Amino acid sequence: MPLLNRRERVDDEIPTASLADIAFLLLIFFLTTTVFNEERGLPIVLPEQSKEQAVASKNIIFFLVQPDGRVVVKRGQSEETQTVTADQIEGIMRQELAANPNIIAAVKTDPNAPYRDMIGVLDGVKQAGADRISLQMIGED
Amino acid sequence: MALKGGEAGFSRKSRASSEIPTSSLADIAFLLLIFFMVTTVFRKEKKRDITWPKAEATKKVGEKRKNILHVWLTGQGNVWINDQNVPFDQIAQFVRPIYAENRQLVIEIRADRDVPYHMINTITKQLQAAGAVRVVFGTRLAQRVQGPRR
Repeated sequence: MPLLNRRERVDDEIPTASLADIAFLLLIFFLTTTVFNEERGLPIVLPEQSKEQAVASKNIIFFLVQPDGRVVVKRGQSEETQTVTADQIEGIMRQELAANPNIIAAVKTDPNAPYRDMIGVLDGVKQAGADRISLQMIGED
Repeated sequence: MALKGGEAGFSRKSRASSEIPTSSLADIAFLLLIFFMVTTVFRKEKKRDITWPKAEATKKVGEKRKNILHVWLTGQGNVWINDQNVPFDQIAQFVRPIYAENRQLVIEIRADRDVPYHMINTITKQLQAAGAVRVVFGTRLAQRVQGPRR
């Protein structure tokens, strides 16, 4: 009978049963909303200024990127040129590297050629495993 | 194992606690939460709207985030560094103090794939003048099956 109840029992504990739920909810919220910055790309080290090196012409292969996306390949020692598309670069570079591991790939791009064509050539050269790469612009030296 | 009733010998049922102890679960969760909050580094920089060039040789840059400086070049030919619009001829001036502060700095050039190459050339020349020679051309991975790269 309620009237006879002397002691009222107030629960003196903070209800902590749902605390874990709250914490995990926050945790999952932050985990899913975090956007990782993706730093991806083609790394290259530029030459330091005024540290240009003379290179024997037999160790150079030029890739001249034209504004229309074609690529003119020119071996250092010969005047002979060869016009190719960007997806042939990798194969050419592999052959050259096999013949001469010291070869330098000089990617010379026309000032008005779109960036993506230059990246396409750089990509091919990188895919072939070359690490001696020089970036230049046609009409500048 | 709590025994019911006073007489130990007569107790029928042994009552093993059938509940998983959850009192420490909140502690674990909060610990994880605080760990992730503390280790998260926010980059305030605003993303610029560019179309990424695609490359098969795309690699992850194995450098700490604080050592990477983004140089954005939008399709309209605007250069943005740390949310500031920097004219082409002042990139070297702008980058030099940042590089002086952090010699480990890697510059990531995030350029729209359709910009003409002379803009990229200007940027690399400016970076060379600033002494920052470690550069990454930001790209996205291209799938081989997509056909000719364009």
